[in-house]
Amino acid sequence: MPLSFLLWAPLFFALLGALLGRRAAPRVALFGSAVALGMAIYYIADFQSGRPGLQHVTDVVWIAVLGIHYKLGVDGLNLFLLTLTALLWCVATLYATFREWERPQLFYFFMGLAESAVLGAFLAQDLALFVAFFDLMLVPFYFLIGSWGGRKRVQATTKLVIYTLVGSLLMLAAAIATGVESVGNNGQISFAFSDLVRVGLPTGTQEWIFLLFAAAFLVKMPAFPLHGWLPDGYRAMPIPVVAVFSAVLSKVAAYGFLRIVLPLFPQATVHFQELLLLIALASILYGSIMAFTATDLRLIVGFSSIAQLGFITLGIFALNPQGTQGALLQMVNHGLVTAALFFIIAVLAARSGGSEDVRDMGGIAFRAPVLAALFLIVALATLAMPGSSNFMGEFYILLGVFKSKLVIACVAFTGVVLASVYMLRAYIGAVHNRVGPKVQSREISLRDGAVVAPLVLVIVALAVYPQLLLSRQQATAQAAVAQTALLTGQIQPPRATAQTAPVPIPGGGPQGTQGGQTP
Amino acid sequence: MSPTTWAWICLALPLAGCLFNAFFGRMLPGDRTAGWLGTAAVALSFVAAVGAFIALLGHAPDDRTFTSTAWDYADSVGVNAKLTILIDPLSIFMMLVVSGVSALIHLYSVTYVWKDRGFVRFFSYLNFFVFSMLLLVMAGNFVPLIIGWAFVGAASYMLISFWFRRTTATRAGIKAFVINVIGDVGLVLGTYFIVFRGSGSLDFLDTFKHVQATFPPNDGDLVAGCILLLVGAFAKSAQVPLHTWLPDAMEGPTPVSALIHAATMVTAGVYLIARMHPLFHDAPAAADVGAVVGCATLVIAATIALSQTDLKRVIAYSTMSQIGYMIMAVSVSAYAAGMFHLYTHAFFKALLFMAAGSIIGAMGGEQSLDRMGGFRRALPFTFACFVVGGLALSAFPIFSGYFSKDDILALVGGEGGWHWILYVLGYVGAFLTALYTFRMIFRAFFGPECKEARELRETGHLAHPEHPFNPDTHEEEDTDVGFPGPGHYIAERAWPMKVAMTVLAAGAVLAGLIQVPFVDDLVNTYLRPDFVTDPAYEQVIQGPSDFLEIFGLILSALIAVGGIGLAYVIWVQRPELASAFRERFRPLYELSFHKWWFDELYDAVFVRPGATIGRWAATVFERVVIDGLVNGTVSVVRAGSSVVRAAQDGFLRVYAALLLLGLALVALWFLLQST
Amino acid sequence: MTVVALSGPFINWSALSPVVALVGGAVLVLLAGLLRGRAGRTFAVPFLTVAALGAFIGLTIWQFNDRTSIISGALRVDDLALVVNLILGTAGLATVLLSARQSAVQQAGHGEYHALLLSSIAGMAILAEAQNLITLFLGIELLSISLYILCATEMRRESSLESGLKYLIIGSVGSATLLYGLALVYGATSSTDFTGIARALQGSIVNDPLLLTGIGLIIVGLAFKNSVAPFHQWTPDVYQGAPTPITAFMATATKAAAFAIFLRMFDVAFIQAQEDWGPALAVLATVTIVVGNVGALVQTSLKRLLAWSSVAQAGYLLAGVVVATRLGIQATVFYLAVYLAMNLAAFAVVLARERETEFGDDIEGFAGLGAARPVLAWPMTLAMLSLAGLPATAGFIGKFYLIDASVDGGYTWLGVVIVIGSMISLGYYLRVLAVMWMRPAPSPAIAGGSAEADGDALTPARASAPASGDGASEPRPRYGGVEVAAVAVIFGAATLFFGIIPSPLLDLADHAGRALIGLL
Repeated sequence: MPLSFLLWAPLFFALLGALLGRRAAPRVALFGSAVALGMAIYYIADFQSGRPGLQHVTDVVWIAVLGIHYKLGVDGLNLFLLTLTALLWCVATLYATFREWERPQLFYFFMGLAESAVLGAFLAQDLALFVAFFDLMLVPFYFLIGSWGGRKRVQATTKLVIYTLVGSLLMLAAAIATGVESVGNNGQISFAFSDLVRVGLPTGTQEWIFLLFAAAFLVKMPAFPLHGWLPDGYRAMPIPVVAVFSAVLSKVAAYGFLRIVLPLFPQATVHFQELLLLIALASILYGSIMAFTATDLRLIVGFSSIAQLGFITLGIFALNPQGTQGALLQMVNHGLVTAALFFIIAVLAARSGGSEDVRDMGGIAFRAPVLAALFLIVALATLAMPGSSNFMGEFYILLGVFKSKLVIACVAFTGVVLASVYMLRAYIGAVHNRVGPKVQSREISLRDGAVVAPLVLVIVALAVYPQLLLSRQQATAQAAVAQTALLTGQIQPPRATAQTAPVPIPGGGPQGTQGGQTP
Repeated sequence: MSPTTWAWICLALPLAGCLFNAFFGRMLPGDRTAGWLGTAAVALSFVAAVGAFIALLGHAPDDRTFTSTAWDYADSVGVNAKLTILIDPLSIFMMLVVSGVSALIHLYSVTYVWKDRGFVRFFSYLNFFVFSMLLLVMAGNFVPLIIGWAFVGAASYMLISFWFRRTTATRAGIKAFVINVIGDVGLVLGTYFIVFRGSGSLDFLDTFKHVQATFPPNDGDLVAGCILLLVGAFAKSAQVPLHTWLPDAMEGPTPVSALIHAATMVTAGVYLIARMHPLFHDAPAAADVGAVVGCATLVIAATIALSQTDLKRVIAYSTMSQIGYMIMAVSVSAYAAGMFHLYTHAFFKALLFMAAGSIIGAMGGEQSLDRMGGFRRALPFTFACFVVGGLALSAFPIFSGYFSKDDILALVGGEGGWHWILYVLGYVGAFLTALYTFRMIFRAFFGPECKEARELRETGHLAHPEHPFNPDTHEEEDTDVGFPGPGHYIAERAWPMKVAMTVLAAGAVLAGLIQVPFVDDLVNTYLRPDFVTDPAYEQVIQGPSDFLEIFGLILSALIAVGGIGLAYVIWVQRPELASAFRERFRPLYELSFHKWWFDELYDAVFVRPGATIGRWAATVFERVVIDGLVNGTVSVVRAGSSVVRAAQDGFLRVYAALLLLGLALVALWFLLQST
Repeated sequence: MTVVALSGPFINWSALSPVVALVGGAVLVLLAGLLRGRAGRTFAVPFLTVAALGAFIGLTIWQFNDRTSIISGALRVDDLALVVNLILGTAGLATVLLSARQSAVQQAGHGEYHALLLSSIAGMAILAEAQNLITLFLGIELLSISLYILCATEMRRESSLESGLKYLIIGSVGSATLLYGLALVYGATSSTDFTGIARALQGSIVNDPLLLTGIGLIIVGLAFKNSVAPFHQWTPDVYQGAPTPITAFMATATKAAAFAIFLRMFDVAFIQAQEDWGPALAVLATVTIVVGNVGALVQTSLKRLLAWSSVAQAGYLLAGVVVATRLGIQATVFYLAVYLAMNLAAFAVVLARERETEFGDDIEGFAGLGAARPVLAWPMTLAMLSLAGLPATAGFIGKFYLIDASVDGGYTWLGVVIVIGSMISLGYYLRVLAVMWMRPAPSPAIAGGSAEADGDALTPARASAPASGDGASEPRPRYGGVEVAAVAVIFGAATLFFGIIPSPLLDLADHAGRALIGLL
């Protein structure tokens, strides 16, 4: 089954629904997202582990003169991110169908467009195509936030879109430069990753291109100090939108690092490793600190995501298989818990007089044990309690960093402790202590339960068997860091003792350029 | 059946009970069915543990190590995290203690929380805890160990803030959880050092096998790893300086204090060190740290316990101090002695808490010693149990605590060298123990009867406060979900409590007899296969001379009697002495009463600065820098646009001027090019 | 008595036919304008114009793929010229459609209006085909003079007259500069023929101050026509003042023709001096991009906003000229075509709203358009997204192409400048979208509607606001005109279509590129 079906199904059905009218739109859109989910699961079932290469490749030339291919493919890097995307969109659409939206056709159309764009970004195996989808993602969200958002929605959406597009456009320039600079000796330009990897860029070029890509991705994540758009943005978004936005779009950025930056610019990556690690560390600490100062639940989750994305970045720039495995695992975990948290926030707000401020809540568990239990599971997963899949994610990430940069790993552990502080603080503030004045403690409704329960089920399932992801990702994870690990001398059989902390070879070095050439 | 099969059953039963109660507990007929189910699950799990024990004894002493793997949990890129259980004498010893005591405490709880609106939730939590504890004990791989380690922490959190509408309870809960997370971090980081700088395998047996090969003795990485493991142990076992959560944890229902914060979870640290003994053997430096901290804790805790007035908190501090003994023991490679004391302690400490629960029931929820008095005749059974527990705790001859504590101190003394300091301090601690234990007993059971006691004795009417209240803050409460239920119970009138306490009392008296110097040596012989590989262990066992043994027995007997006698003088004969001492040694009293100011210290060093930084980041940094980044750019562009629009005023003369300027510049450029 | 036989140059009429069709059409239309009876004028004249344009396009297509110099090398009919002709023809047709029911037409007289339109197109066609300094100037003047008048055709409106006058004055300054430049170049190279000039430049005179000054003046002269900063100031005023159809026409057609000649001169005649003029043009492009985008930021008049944006776009296009590579030429031509589509869509919607609301071309007139008139809102949305260069629109590929060309031509920093320009441009393009989709239509209840979103999205109040507000705000809701909507929809669809399947346009651009490189 060609991947194009998976890619375009959501958009197709959303469009269909929009044409069929306001009554049909929700159901058709929901059906579309369900179809996508089904296909995504099929790809997991059909996936051959142990093969680093792409599977189910679709490759046709889109724009010959520019060397842009319409090339899609699945491998360990994007397999589960696709499923995550499909699942969360399915759930978010379900949540949306339970509510009334002004101009529903438009709403569901944009939701479908957004899903297709994100899936496209994950599936694209051509740099230009990736950039196109990466920028396209923002268009539907611009309208979704601006037209259906909460307070200050227009300013918020404008700020968000421009801020993130600034990064993306820089990346556009960088991407084109990459393509042009690495025109093979046959003189034929091509943006397909497979062709780009074959030609190593000179280190100097790599470095400025790397910086532009990094800017784009760090803004999108967001990472400290480029998160200026987040607070307003998150507060303005409608719940289903913020759920998918915070859960999935940040992952596209992290994924971009693994898919594009590490393989294409290995010398630059090694050269800037410390910088990126420090940024990640700053994000962890700053995000955590902000998260336990904030009282707005959305902001708590938002800032905690900054910290979580910090961990993921750490894992990526550990530049060894452990870090990569952890990052990939953690992307999925974080997506699941964040989305679940936002839906729970909506349920809580409905019981505390519409306020999402933790100070207006409290004591919900008094009459809503199920809600409290669901929230507790998600909260414990979020703070990466051992036994949750998130823990294995952080275990791998920090192990990766531990192997490459011991000190940074040790500091990063404080983030783990802080996470437990702010998540429990939020949990207790929301559902425990004395019942708040405006709070009426009702049990979670069946409809909301139908939205949250599946996510919690998946979280628990992954907690029981994270190997499901790890085994399928292993081959690709090792391939993704092969280039850089070669440069940092981190390629060793895992059992061997890494007594000497590996020192990265500065990009300019002769070994560096050799590393670039090695396919 | 093989020991591992029994072990899996032993592990599965509590989990099943937990899940069943969680999902269907509320639909069960009868108001206590869920409780009985939970108790049955744990009791059966104890039976399974016994089964494993018997099955193990069926094998020769030198092949009593069995492993079994459920499934690969996360096995990739050099991290072989498998759900493996390791069944050997040590783990089965712990399984027996844990499941046995848990079963009794479940039984006790069936009455104790009868009228509590969270009855079902309570038992599903309790079962979850037993499951987690057994997982921790059986783990044969670092990852399941860490998971169990964290799960017991979570269970403890949930049970501490079981009455979640009490602000004090939730605050205590988050405190306990966070400190436990610090412990987890220590454990994980320690694992990194030991496994990924060394053995390369998360499997215990592999690690132990490779540790000698990969690390030179006292190797930096190994010592660091072991010390980090100790951090985990200290956090879990409430050792200085990570102990501050345990007293607050008394916010939880009394059975919880008995089970988690006395008998089982808090002893996990001891078990961890015993389990990891090959590592500590190669890292003596780390082991010494353990010994010193344990000793410090046992003294500090004992001094604090002298002046506290909350009945449960006194027992909590005594728990800290007793665990100090165990940590000290296992850190000087006196593993069997440590485990022995762990096992006796489980009996008498659980017993003490249960008795305390019974008194608190009689007081209608009040916990302060100041309000109690003269329960001797009102609660004869409770009194008997409390005294038995107290005697065992203060190591009165032939009571269980006597032999176990003496075993430890003798072995520590046997080490010689600077260990003599520990030895002496150990006996100081023993004296203080006797003192504060009987301070409790005399203040609660002797002296003038308080009105609850008299009412109970005369009218047989159990005191119920007209308004339920929080014993800490005395703020009013209701008895609905999230607050304690209306029921108050005393052992005298509830057979489940009575049975549980009777069994434990028997244990508290007799449990020590399985290892009496010159008589029998069961614990040692049973556990030897575990530690036989460890030369230090053998040497320690042979260490103390017979003289030291006998001297120790006599000395501790005298100390116990002396302590009890002094307590009798101070709190029964001449009550005014207490206040006199207080005035005389005011600084010492303050130190003890304010718990050595640990909480204040942490508040000043971590909590307040953290909050300040957070506030600064939120109010200043976010506004100025982060938003400035955006607004700055925007304003620059805005400024440019206003300039451009200024030039665009619609008058031709301006246009002409700019036009000529541009023309001139272009022409100039090309003229320059031409030269 | 000797008979001196004057032999005029041989004229290849078939190659010239497109231009002839236009000029002939102009005459016919002028005559038809004299018809008695309103019906005759209002229908015959536009019909004839359309017919002439149809013939123009048809003949152009007929000429396609053959490359001939005609009238002894005065004009060159090649694929570049023909592609530009197609653009011109399309723009002309759209303009005719937009002009129907335009008061300007009645005021100026149908015949005159359309005749001028045709003649200006003819001028542009000649400009695009010009192969010789003289024909170049001829074309420039022909198109300019007609446009001066067209701008002023709404005689009753002062701003229209003002814009015409301004355009006349500044335009003539531009023409003068250009003429001077041409003269200097002729003086330096002693050849008016582009190929001749190119040949001459291969000699040693590349650094001749005379030549270089000439080139400089030519740059300035053409910069006027393309509204390249700092010679752009006429643009906002003229665009705003002129009748909207004419504005649309100027924005699209003039640019196409002027850039065609830019390519011909600089990438053919002056190619040897590229390292001299390249940097200069690059700097001009940078200035233009920055000034244009920054200027557009806070405009409330949409025509003004689009004027500024067209300045910025001129800057982008210039990048394609600077690199002087085949890739650059193709990028420029492709972008010209894309530019035509997105601007026509935008201007059509602006025109429709001018007619429908009392706000004129003010952005207020677009409030709540998304809910009220999706037919207009969607083309506008697509146009804005495309101008901003977002994916799935032709604008994205156009920009991609241009950046690709500039990086490839060694002007990476110029590519980055383009990117920065489009960042700034988001500021105003998105504002238009926000007004259309995220604000209720202005109604007496909420005067003009506040940019601030009030309450959450689900309140029924705002749900109903657009519909009711639209009705309430207008005493007699006029209808924008089906042909205007049609133009908007067609070109809006085009931006989307070519954003997903760009190959047809890319082929055209490819042809045009090959035509020029073939010369050398």
